[in-house]
Amino acid sequence: MLLQPDFSQPASRRAWTRRLLAPLDDAAWEELAGELFAWQFARVPAYRRLSLGHGVRPRNLSSWREIPAMPQQLFKLENLFSHGELKPGAIYETSGTTTGQPGRQHLLHTDIYRAISTEGARRAGLFAGEPQLHFLTPSPAEAPHSSLGAMFGFWQRASRQSGPRFWARKGSFHFDNFRKTLLAHVKAGHPIAVSGTAFSFVHLLEAWEGLPPLRLPKGSWLLETGGFKGRSREVPKAELYAGMSRLFTVPDQAIWNEYGMSELSSQAYARGTSGLHQTPPWARVLVCDPATGREVRIGQRGLVRWIDLANTDSVLALQTLDLAERTATGFRLIGRMAKTEPRGCSLSAEDLAARPTPAIPAH
Amino acid sequence: MTTRQRLDLLARAYPRLFPRVELQRLLRTQLGAIDALDGWIQRDGGRVRARAPKIIYHICAGNLAVSAWTSLAQGLLLGARNVMKLPGEREDATTTREILAFIRGLPAALRRLVETHRAIDDKLFAQADVIVAFGSDATMESLRTRTRWDQKFIAHGHAVSLLWITDPDRLTMRQAGACAVDVLTYDQLGCLSPQAIYIPARTDILLLGGKLSAALEKEWVKIPSKPARPLSVTARISEARDIALAMGHRLWLPPKKHFGWTVIHDPSPTFRPSPLHGVIYLRQATEAQLRAALSPIAHRISTVGMVGKTSSRLESLFLSLGVSRFCAAGHMQFPPLTWHHDGHAPLAEMVTWVDAEPSA
Repeated sequence: MLLQPDFSQPASRRAWTRRLLAPLDDAAWEELAGELFAWQFARVPAYRRLSLGHGVRPRNLSSWREIPAMPQQLFKLENLFSHGELKPGAIYETSGTTTGQPGRQHLLHTDIYRAISTEGARRAGLFAGEPQLHFLTPSPAEAPHSSLGAMFGFWQRASRQSGPRFWARKGSFHFDNFRKTLLAHVKAGHPIAVSGTAFSFVHLLEAWEGLPPLRLPKGSWLLETGGFKGRSREVPKAELYAGMSRLFTVPDQAIWNEYGMSELSSQAYARGTSGLHQTPPWARVLVCDPATGREVRIGQRGLVRWIDLANTDSVLALQTLDLAERTATGFRLIGRMAKTEPRGCSLSAEDLAARPTPAIPAH
Repeated sequence: MTTRQRLDLLARAYPRLFPRVELQRLLRTQLGAIDALDGWIQRDGGRVRARAPKIIYHICAGNLAVSAWTSLAQGLLLGARNVMKLPGEREDATTTREILAFIRGLPAALRRLVETHRAIDDKLFAQADVIVAFGSDATMESLRTRTRWDQKFIAHGHAVSLLWITDPDRLTMRQAGACAVDVLTYDQLGCLSPQAIYIPARTDILLLGGKLSAALEKEWVKIPSKPARPLSVTARISEARDIALAMGHRLWLPPKKHFGWTVIHDPSPTFRPSPLHGVIYLRQATEAQLRAALSPIAHRISTVGMVGKTSSRLESLFLSLGVSRFCAAGHMQFPPLTWHHDGHAPLAEMVTWVDAEPSA
C-alpha cells in the first residue's frame, strides 16, 4: 500500500507530480483522486462540511465522480488552503468581477502548478517548434497575484528565452515595441507565440488597425484566455478570431483558447473558433446537471465541474457556473451562465457589487 | 372616450387586477378627481384640469410582466398612446408572452391605444412626452442620457425588499404562511420580493426555520403552475445550497430536495442578495446592527413586510435607509394601485395642469 501523501513536504509534492505526469489509467486516476480527496477532506473545514452535507466521506467514496465539488464562489468567502497555518508561497486572486470581492487561491509552493501548467501546455502541443513566446499581460513580478501571469512566467522560464516578453506594464500595453520585436522575429523566420486575454487582443486589434498585417512564420500561434469578464464591451469569439487571424496571417486552427482559472492548477485547451476543449490526463471535466449533480448525456448542456489532481493546496473538485456541452471526446465551452439569467428591477449580487456604497444619514 | 369610459373598460377586462374602486381611488388621490382629465374641477377657489401626455413610452423589464401591466393600465387611464418596448430577446420569453396576452385581453377601444416594439423606436422615443422604464440601473442610466429636458422620465431601477419579524419565537403558522406567500409569489423575481427575513438576535432559529419551511412547502404545493426551473435556475439554487453547506450555515430543504424553495440561516447580518427563485435568507440583527447590515442596499429598499408591531425607532431606522413602503407580511407583492412605486405618484407625474383663476 502506498503511503498517504503529505503535501506539506517537498519530497511528497515531487512524488505526487511524478505520479500525475506518469501514464494514468482509470485505476491510477481513481486512486490519486481518492488520496487527494482524503487529504483535503481532513484539512479544509469548509470542504469537509460540504462533503458531509452530501453524505460523502473518503471511506465511503466508491468513485471519483462522487467527489463533491466546491462552488467556485466559495473561494471568495472562505480560505480553502489545505495547509492550515502554514505560510502560503503564492496567493492568486480572481478578478472579483461578479461580487466585487476577489477569490483567493493559496498555494503552499508554486512547484506543482509550475510543473503541471508547463507540462499541460507542452502536451497540448504549444511548445512544438520552440516558438518565441510573448505575453500581453503584466509580468509575474509586476502582478504577483495573477495565476495567468505566473503560468506565462513558468512558460518563459521553461523556454529559456530572454529579452522583453511581457508587453503590459504599469497599466498600459506597449504595442509599438512589441511590434518591432515581432518584426525582428518574422525577419529571422522564428515561429512566434502570442498569449493574452481576449480583451488584450481586442486592444491590440484596435491599436494596429490600419497597419499592415504581420505574416507570422509557419508554426506560430496565438492563445487567448479569460473572456471579457467585467469589461465594458465584448466581441463575439468568431469576430475576435477572424480579426486575430487577419492581423497575424495565421489560420483559425493556429488560435488557441486556454480555459483555466485562478482556483485551479490545470488548464484545458481548444483550437480554432469551434474547437473542443481537452484536459490533460491529470484533470477531468464533467459537464453536470445542477438539478441532479450528475453528468449530462453526450450532446446535452450542463455546468463545467473540474476535478484537478494537481490542485493539492485547496480543493480538487470545483463547480463552476460555466456552461458547456458534453461531447464524445471533451466539451464545448459555451460561456458564463450568468449572462443567460433573466434580469429586471430586482437587485442581484453583480448589481450590488457595481453600485457605490451610499451615504446613510446618521440616525 | 372619457376617463370614466376607459376606467370602466379596464375594470371590466381585468376586474381582479384593476378593481373599479381602486382605479377610482387612484384617480382621486393622484389627480384630485376622476374627471380631472375631461373637464374643469374646482380647486382652491379656482379651476384646474389635467392634460394627459400624448405618448407614453414604456420600457418593460424581463423579470416580471406585472409591472408592465400596471404601467400600461395607468397610461390607458390617461388615454395616452402607449408604446411598449418589450423585454430583450435574451430575457425570459415568458414575460413577453404575458405582456402580449394582457394586451390581447384588452377591449378593442383600449387596445387601439397600445403598440409594441421589440427594440426602442428612436422616432417614437423622441416624440414621447413620458418615458416609464423598468430594469437595471445600467438601463436607467443609458435611457436617461437619451431623454430630453422636456420629457418626463420615471425610472424604476434596482430595488430589493425584505421581511422583518418582530417576535419570531411566537410566529404563528398563519404568519409563517404570509411570509411564504411573499417569498414565493412571482418566484421572488420582482423588487417587491423579500430576499431576506430579518429577525432579532435572540431567536430560536431551529423553531423558526421549521415553521417557515413547513409554510413554504404548503404554499409551494398550492401553486398551480410551478415556475420553471431551467439549468440556469437550478445552478443558482444548487450553488446557494452548497455554499451554505460549506459555510456551515443551517439549511432547510424541501422534501426530495426539489427546487421550489430553500431557507438558509446566514449568521452574518449583512444583506447579500439571494439567487431568488425561492431562496430566502434568515439574518439575525439587533436594531443597532441593522443600520450597518442594510447599508449596502440603503435607498434601494422598496418594501419592508412586517410581522408584528415595530417600534417607532425601528421604523425611523428603515425610513433613514430609504424604505419606501411598509406593509403586513403576505401583502408585499400586492400593493394597492395607489402605491407610490419607488416613491412616484405616476398619474400625477405624467400629467400637466391647466389653471383657470377666478376672474376679477
